[in-house]
Amino acid sequence: MSRQELNSEVTGSVWQITAQPGQRLVPGDTVMVLESMKMEIPVLCEDGGTLVELLVAEGESVAEGQAVAVVVP
Amino acid sequence: MHESPTTARAANGDAAARAEAMRAEFEARRQRALAMGGPAKLARRREQGLLNARERIDRLFDPGTFIESGLFATSAAPEDRDRSPADGKIAGFGKVEGREAAVVANDFTVMGASSATTNARKMGHIKRVATQRGMPLVFLGESSGARMPDHMGSRGMGLQLGNDGAQYQRLRETPWASATLGLSYGSSSWYAVMSDFSVMRKGAVLAVSSALLASMAVGEEVDAQELGGWKLHAEVTGFADLVVDTDEEAVDAIRRFLAYLPSHRNEAPPVAAVPGGSGEAMRDILGLLPSSRTQVYDVRKIVRAIVDRDSFFELKARFGKVAVTGLARLGGRTVGIVANNPLSKGGALDTDACEKITSFLVLCDSFNIPLVMLVDTPGFVIGTEPERKRAPGRIMNFMNALSLVTVPKLSVVLRKSYGQAYLNMGGGRNSDEMAAWPTAEISFMDPQFAVKVVHGLSPGDEGFDAARASMDRASEVWDIASVYAAQTVVLPEHTRDYLIRMLDVHELRMTRGVGQHLMRAWPTSF
Repeated sequence: MSRQELNSEVTGSVWQITAQPGQRLVPGDTVMVLESMKMEIPVLCEDGGTLVELLVAEGESVAEGQAVAVVVP
Repeated sequence: MHESPTTARAANGDAAARAEAMRAEFEARRQRALAMGGPAKLARRREQGLLNARERIDRLFDPGTFIESGLFATSAAPEDRDRSPADGKIAGFGKVEGREAAVVANDFTVMGASSATTNARKMGHIKRVATQRGMPLVFLGESSGARMPDHMGSRGMGLQLGNDGAQYQRLRETPWASATLGLSYGSSSWYAVMSDFSVMRKGAVLAVSSALLASMAVGEEVDAQELGGWKLHAEVTGFADLVVDTDEEAVDAIRRFLAYLPSHRNEAPPVAAVPGGSGEAMRDILGLLPSSRTQVYDVRKIVRAIVDRDSFFELKARFGKVAVTGLARLGGRTVGIVANNPLSKGGALDTDACEKITSFLVLCDSFNIPLVMLVDTPGFVIGTEPERKRAPGRIMNFMNALSLVTVPKLSVVLRKSYGQAYLNMGGGRNSDEMAAWPTAEISFMDPQFAVKVVHGLSPGDEGFDAARASMDRASEVWDIASVYAAQTVVLPEHTRDYLIRMLDVHELRMTRGVGQHLMRAWPTSF
């Protein structure tokens, strides 16, 4: 099975993790919410799948393009 | 002189026999051409779940309307004559929802649908007819590229290439739509990126040349999907307006795209019946906008509520996602939607979004499609990365394109509209009518940062809260309405009715809905 990384679209920090490893995600589900430019920016799982790993924790800084979670179809 | 009855009978019999022989030869030759690359290759495609070129054409056109041009054409090379039915590119005309359209469908089972002398002549003819007679042109692409060895050597180059100086010229006289339905190299790729609409089937590859050739050139294994697969073109290059799973869906998407467009640039788009239930979601539309200004939402829900039911056809959904572009209908009329999408990066416009919007403005203006802009953006993304991606150039191309639009432009500010992005999204007379919801906030920069810049105050400093409150009030919609820079304030639930009425008001009556097409020669990709 191909692992797919979810990346942060923005530079900011992790405000809230909203899904846990093992959780089944439907396309468009939110995995975590980042704070950037005073906005709450969700990281979405566009294709759906199962969340297998979180690569960041709440409060951590993230860079644009950084992988923050891994899903498998 | 009288013919004897016996002679007349013999002559008739002779004519009947000749007609029979003629029909038999015609039919035999027709069947050979229709057999394409032969039963084995066709069976293999069927097993893979792929349609062949003729099945694709059948699906594209209304039943019984396809008339072929060049069925009996073959390769110009004598040794290939008997193995090149239609010379690998099937061409002709047919009707899409009752309207004439032209097609060139690559038949991969015949010499890999490679480009060569005869099929280049077919292609040239079909393009000329489509352009001169005013009908859309459809490419069903799948090609190994230039035919070998025909193109080799300077004689091959002299004979094969560059004999039509307008081959890759685009003046947007009629809409072009293309589907990439397999391996697609060379001209098949060129036509895809020159088209107004480009759909790609998953598994297809669109690239300059094959993975094999690329591997030889760089001295390492190149993966075909990485080289030109759907993910690359949907998310990175933006060359794919739409990605689908099957051939059938790809051809259906072309039919759907063409339904929004006029047949040529000198007529208005067709008008459709308004489906029942359109506008029903308007009553609750404010519920789609979060009450907090720091929360994001998917603007596509607002778009779908406003436009005619099920009429929103999004283009480049996975590219430049901070902006949403797509065709839709309002009161039955085709419109182009440009909307900021706070769901991605808070709606801050990046360079990909600038290019996506610019190419969409060119499409709409070239084919007389009025524009509706829904605005909620904190501005352009700033920082070192966008500057390296040539942000000022992208922002000004977008701005220039907007100023060259000659079809009606209507804008509605839903929430934020700041700085230069205010102009790019239709503010400052860059749309024919600018309306704003009472939730709109309009200023040069976000109040949070403005308090720091103007007053030198940060959160926690004495006086910050009062200064911030004053900035917030000054950004409210009523001030911009009072100086008539917004032509009206519209309640969210009235937005659909307002836009439909304004499309009536701004109809281009003097030219029967036809704009000036000042961007007809604008580049076809970016």
